[in-house]
Amino acid sequence: MSGLIREVRFLASDRATLLWLAIALLVACVSVVLGLREIATQRALLNELIAIDQVEREVVGELYSDWGDVAYYTFHLTYDVPSDFAFAALGRRDTSPWKHHIRALAIEGQIYETDAENPDFALIGRFDFAFAANLLAPLLLILLLHDLRSAERAAGRFELLSATAASRGSPWFARAALRVGALALCLIGPLWAGGLLAGTGASTLALASLVVVSHIAFWWGVCALVDRIGWSSPVNLTALVGAWLALAVIVPAAIKISVETAVPLPDGGDILLTQREAVNDAWDLPKSATMEPFIERHPEWADYTAVGQPFEWKWYYAFQQVGDQTVEQLSLAYRDGRVGRDRLAGTLARLAPPALAERALQAIAGTNLAASLAYEQRVREFHAALRNYYYPRLFRAEPFSNASLGQRPEFHSTSE
Amino acid sequence: MNHVFTNNILAITREEARLWLRSRLALCALLIFALLLTATSIATSLRMSEEYRHRSAQQALAEETFLSQPDRHPHRMVHYGHYVFRAPPPLAMIDPGVDAVTGQSMFLEGHRQNSAMFADARASANLGGFEGLTAALVYQLFVPLLLIAIGHGLIIREREENTLAPLLAQGVTGNELYAGKWVALAGVALALLLPLAVVSAAAVAGGGSPLAGAGVIGLYALYLLVWCSLILLVSALVRSRSLSLGILALFWLACALIVPRMAVESANSAMPAPGKLETDLRMQAELRVIGDGHNAGAPQYLQLRANLLAQYDVERVEDLPVNFRGVVAEDAEAEMTEVMNRYAEERMALEARQAGFAETFGWLSPVVAVAAASRALAGTDLATHHRFLREAEAVRFDFVQGLNRVHVEQLDYVIDINRSIDTESERRTRMSAENWNVLDAFSFRPDAPGERAARAGAPLAMLFAWFLLLTAAGVHAARGLRP
Repeated sequence: MSGLIREVRFLASDRATLLWLAIALLVACVSVVLGLREIATQRALLNELIAIDQVEREVVGELYSDWGDVAYYTFHLTYDVPSDFAFAALGRRDTSPWKHHIRALAIEGQIYETDAENPDFALIGRFDFAFAANLLAPLLLILLLHDLRSAERAAGRFELLSATAASRGSPWFARAALRVGALALCLIGPLWAGGLLAGTGASTLALASLVVVSHIAFWWGVCALVDRIGWSSPVNLTALVGAWLALAVIVPAAIKISVETAVPLPDGGDILLTQREAVNDAWDLPKSATMEPFIERHPEWADYTAVGQPFEWKWYYAFQQVGDQTVEQLSLAYRDGRVGRDRLAGTLARLAPPALAERALQAIAGTNLAASLAYEQRVREFHAALRNYYYPRLFRAEPFSNASLGQRPEFHSTSE
Repeated sequence: MNHVFTNNILAITREEARLWLRSRLALCALLIFALLLTATSIATSLRMSEEYRHRSAQQALAEETFLSQPDRHPHRMVHYGHYVFRAPPPLAMIDPGVDAVTGQSMFLEGHRQNSAMFADARASANLGGFEGLTAALVYQLFVPLLLIAIGHGLIIREREENTLAPLLAQGVTGNELYAGKWVALAGVALALLLPLAVVSAAAVAGGGSPLAGAGVIGLYALYLLVWCSLILLVSALVRSRSLSLGILALFWLACALIVPRMAVESANSAMPAPGKLETDLRMQAELRVIGDGHNAGAPQYLQLRANLLAQYDVERVEDLPVNFRGVVAEDAEAEMTEVMNRYAEERMALEARQAGFAETFGWLSPVVAVAAASRALAGTDLATHHRFLREAEAVRFDFVQGLNRVHVEQLDYVIDINRSIDTESERRTRMSAENWNVLDAFSFRPDAPGERAARAGAPLAMLFAWFLLLTAAGVHAARGLRP
């Protein structure tokens, strides 16, 4: 016990250590505040958009009195509400869409629209907690631990300290453990504070803390290994920063290249081109060329497929659907390819702990690819519900009524 | 320059080189970086040249497909639309810039301005933030680490090994010592630029501007020299290697990792920019005032109708020498485009102001400055992306209005309004496919090298300021060097 108190006193008088710890605390606090602010902005924007969208739909509803027109001109806002832990890892919300404005036309032409932020910024990335904990913290830990033994060795106290210790190695262990623990507290403290403000569940915070602590522990292990070799402090530091460079940058970059080579993805542009051709060719084809593939999917409208006029709305929406059917395989391949890439990246990320920790935090925060795809799926389901709402009205040529319009599906986020 | 002075400097430089060659750590680090730079340079160049080929081919295919469409009602072609692809400029082989985060293809159609779709970043695996490594990023972020590793003890070593006093006693001045060490470190930095120079030459051979190619090399040379001067300054001021390394590591951490992201966060909060969806939603009400160009009977067009009837001195719309539905479509498109362009320009101006704000952080971190200048020179910056958006919009407006002109001048109004009676009536509204050549060929080129250099001017000035300041401080510190 007295050994521990001695170490705490030693730490308290070690100005360099206090500096690194203060930086860690500052960086973690700033990242949490920025993350909370970003999520608050996103929520406020969503509320505003939901309100505008509502008004917009009411206005459009009064302008038209034909199901075809209403379906054509009415847009619906779909969105993915950030989770209560999203502040800690903004993840793909930076580059992938989390809000759409869709209507009853072919979904494939709409789902890939991205409402991106300033590309200059997407390129650099955000200052979130995941960045602080996964990329900055290992470097700060390296700075804290690289000269534990080597500094004493250089000062000529190494043998004395080792000899007076109760068991060999224990003063170094206590000294390192104290620094690692302090660093972990500097990170996890602000995280829990942010979690309390954001209303994050304790189990979520505990899980995230476990990720952070495990990752820090891994780097402690690396530092201990290098320190044991007995190089001088500068060589230790160089070697450790080299290890960080390898595990945080080079290995992930190599994994990315191999994953993208191993799992090819259909060209997204091809989905749109094929879909457009299918939709536009329908105008020049006999109506039956649209209606036949349409009723394969919707046999319930088989008795209503007669199209007498050159233009009828039901035929128009039928070929929108057929356009989607034409690219279905391509679209599924695009989704499966993204899932496949993500899965392989997840497996290979075990070779790069910083990448692994980042992925884990994004998974907890619901800002990873899986969450992005789940949102995409919700948009598709909502779009299908819209179609199911309009089809009876278009095919049975039901008269337009506001009462009937009131039954139109509304998009609801799952987390509300 | 004094002969002895030069000789002393060269002797110090030679000695330093000899020590590096004997140090396994230095050699090892150099070798790893040489490999890393070569590998990323090759990977980035191959990827971007492949992208160039692919997107150029897609562009040619899109144009061919448009032109080979059969006879149709001209407004159908307005909705059929067209695609444009942003082929990367030659120097994207060095710095792909925003290419990965902005979509590279855009669908152009009537009445709408779509955004660019299918950015690489959305389809790629997530691996912690640095997985999209390019040659430019290695130079900007990680080569300084190597320079720190081999250079942090350059002057301190003389002190720690007790060789500083004899050197000074032999008549070597502090400035000569500084200059010799600086030349040695700068030599390593410049040697590391070899892969960049090769890729640059390849880009110039592939049609890149020689001025921009040389500019990129000069930019990175200046940037690495900033780090050399910084490292020597710290090495001259501090008395222990560990402290020197700690200070430099902290500086790197702040410059390379923290300040760039803080620049983004500050710009975002100082001037928040609305997203496209938000803009679109706000624009809707304004667009509705213009009216729906598909509906020539809408009240918004009564005035237009009256004006036309008066102009041609006729009673009925059917008697006009032009197709009134086409006139409405043309008029509505022009008005809508004006509104859409106004919103788009506002958004782009705001984004540009955000980027400009973030760029001023170059005064705090040379990494921010070099990154901004590099993207500008390579033609892969935000301004170039905006140029792409504007050019794409010009293509869109031209072909849509070209088609509307066909609608106005060649399609008879009575035939047009009767198009939905039966198949034969519909067939009569189809215009000859020869009219589709209203579409211009699109081939995206970045701004002229002079303009790009002008955009790189401000960050370059920051780098020069960093360089002069750090070198002057280093020379000053070296003059007062005492054992």
